[in-house]
Amino acid sequence: MANIREVAKQAGVSVATVSRVLNHPESVSATTMELVLATMEKMQYTPNGFARSLALNRSSTIALLIPNILNPLYPQIAKGVEDVAHQKGYNILLCNTEENKEKERDYLDMLIEKRVGGFILTSSQLENKDLQKIKNQNVPFVMVGRNIEDIDANMVFTDYYMGAYQITQHLIEVGYSKIAHITGSLNQIENLEKRRGYEKALEEAGISLQSQYIVEGNNEIEGGYLGAKKLLKSKEKPQAIFAANDLMAIGAIDAIKSSGLHIPEDVAIVGFDDITMAALIEPKLTTISQPVYKMGLIAARLLFESIENGQQEDGFQQKIFLQPKLKVRKSCGHENRVREIFN
Amino acid sequence: MDLSVNFIGLSLKNPILISAGPLTGSGEMMRKAVEAGAGAVVTKTIANEIRSNVRPRLVKGEGGLHNIELYSDFTLEEWEGEIAYAKKHGAIVIANILGHTPSEIAYIAQKVERYGADAIELGVSCPHGEGLEGVASEPSALYEFTKAVVKRVKIPVMVKLSSNVANVVKLAKAAEKAGAAAISGIDTVRSIAGVDIETGQALLPTFGGYSGDAIRPIGLAAIASISEATSIPACGIGGITKHEHILEYMMLGASTVQVCTSIILNGHEHIGLLLDGLRGWMTQNGYESFDEIKGKALTSLKSFEEIKEEPYVSQVNEGCSISLCEKCKKACIYEAIEWTDGQVTVNPQRCTGCGLCVSICPQGIFELNWKD
Repeated sequence: MANIREVAKQAGVSVATVSRVLNHPESVSATTMELVLATMEKMQYTPNGFARSLALNRSSTIALLIPNILNPLYPQIAKGVEDVAHQKGYNILLCNTEENKEKERDYLDMLIEKRVGGFILTSSQLENKDLQKIKNQNVPFVMVGRNIEDIDANMVFTDYYMGAYQITQHLIEVGYSKIAHITGSLNQIENLEKRRGYEKALEEAGISLQSQYIVEGNNEIEGGYLGAKKLLKSKEKPQAIFAANDLMAIGAIDAIKSSGLHIPEDVAIVGFDDITMAALIEPKLTTISQPVYKMGLIAARLLFESIENGQQEDGFQQKIFLQPKLKVRKSCGHENRVREIFN
Repeated sequence: MDLSVNFIGLSLKNPILISAGPLTGSGEMMRKAVEAGAGAVVTKTIANEIRSNVRPRLVKGEGGLHNIELYSDFTLEEWEGEIAYAKKHGAIVIANILGHTPSEIAYIAQKVERYGADAIELGVSCPHGEGLEGVASEPSALYEFTKAVVKRVKIPVMVKLSSNVANVVKLAKAAEKAGAAAISGIDTVRSIAGVDIETGQALLPTFGGYSGDAIRPIGLAAIASISEATSIPACGIGGITKHEHILEYMMLGASTVQVCTSIILNGHEHIGLLLDGLRGWMTQNGYESFDEIKGKALTSLKSFEEIKEEPYVSQVNEGCSISLCEKCKKACIYEAIEWTDGQVTVNPQRCTGCGLCVSICPQGIFELNWKD
């Protein structure tokens, strides 16, 4: 296989010109470009990716950090990122942080070393000092998840507080007053925000908070199962349960059914996320739809803008908010579909 | 006569724009529209996320067209090439965009501006896909959406409004206050195509938008209100199938118009017919510019209190030559119209001057005059 020097010689141009065709095509005239590209094709020249990333000090790879690869929510983000990255000719490195700050930091170091073109950090646990480290290395990054006010970065976020508030309010509108909440891991701010939304809706409706109705889950199916079992054992069992994500709602459904109870007649259940399974299980799950695919799309778009153009001319940081949306299905006990399509 | 107009800073060769929809879904289609004579094209709605279109999605009803077609099939990135292609072929491109929050729509606006769009139309009022409330049917929400976009781009921003709202004037004012360069309207009217009564199934599986002749009076009413209430230009949309309809919109204050349904149903050559008709009428009536007719009919609109009660009754001008038609007689609920031996007469004692016979008669033999 030919190397860059042979291509340059054959085309009658300098090695630097061939390199410019590959890395800075905008600086080469159309005639030269055509000549060099034709020569490359004739000689079956393929640029060496590793050598190239060394020379450019970055590679055609971006990194996507997600908390949990097993949660069906995150593949949708990955799909959004991939749809854009593929068009741009980039690969993705997928890293599973397991909601562990140290693991996330390790990945960060490794990835910077690998000279990735940029990062997309999903539901990141990182602190400002970590992010500053990425900035110092001039590696573009985009945050996905909740709005972190004190961080100066491109961001795509949704409002967990608002989503939780909406779905709790919906349960109150359906007619329940004994509403329990299975929270996500409470070391994550987004789960604290969901709990805050739940509490706010109850407070506004004049329903007093009962500590026995709030149990902590772990974001997984098992957490939902155990949480629901615990709630069903309480002296006065709840009429409805809001699980902080759909996986836990699915676990809770299993627990309620295995206790011989019916959903929503005996206990209503709602989730959060709107993963594909939510519309397939029986009864179909009422939940909050997070536009996750779109979050992935936009995050990747913002990242490639930074990679391609550097920072915005006016230093403008994009903070794009995407609205959570209530999806009324069957598990909440709402009789009709008014909110879904007839509104 | 020169049909060119200056609209929101754009020099258009004529006031006919092709509205956001199936006819402007790609660079190639926009080129076709411009070559057929359109003054500008408004792209099919550009959004962050593409959603493939369902089949079937169009039904021609008695009075118009129902559709459940959603946004563009192209990704945001792909629109760069489509817009460039249309512009290379001489199109003036207004990008119709949709986002679900102010920050999201402002982001798309910035993107399409970079792609070379000449102006933006906010497509936040589509009556299907998003439910009746659309994205921004609250004046305060529309203000936030418009403001966010206006702040982020330098090109003019037009806001498309819907008639599926309680008060279109409040929305128009909110858009103007937020810095919109123009208002366009109306978007399609929320509809159900019909029900197959044999099977008991709706003809299309969800709510859709209704367009075509039947919605023109609704569009005219909206444009008249918007023109009166704001001082920014208006672009009339809804049921334009003849050049007279363009003139009607203009006389109610529109500077430009958008067409789609009549071109879908009659082909691109229909754009040429509209232009010829427009030019012919303007020349024949001695007008040199659309400014001379713009808003002309607005002064004829008054409140009920201002309308004088005049003693009009219907009179027959000439003999009726259609035997057995009797449309006028059947429609006169006051039983004032009589037919004897093929002769039509109006009983002035019974006639209340409602005027229905004047518009119902295929031959136009009735006229309202003061009672003797």
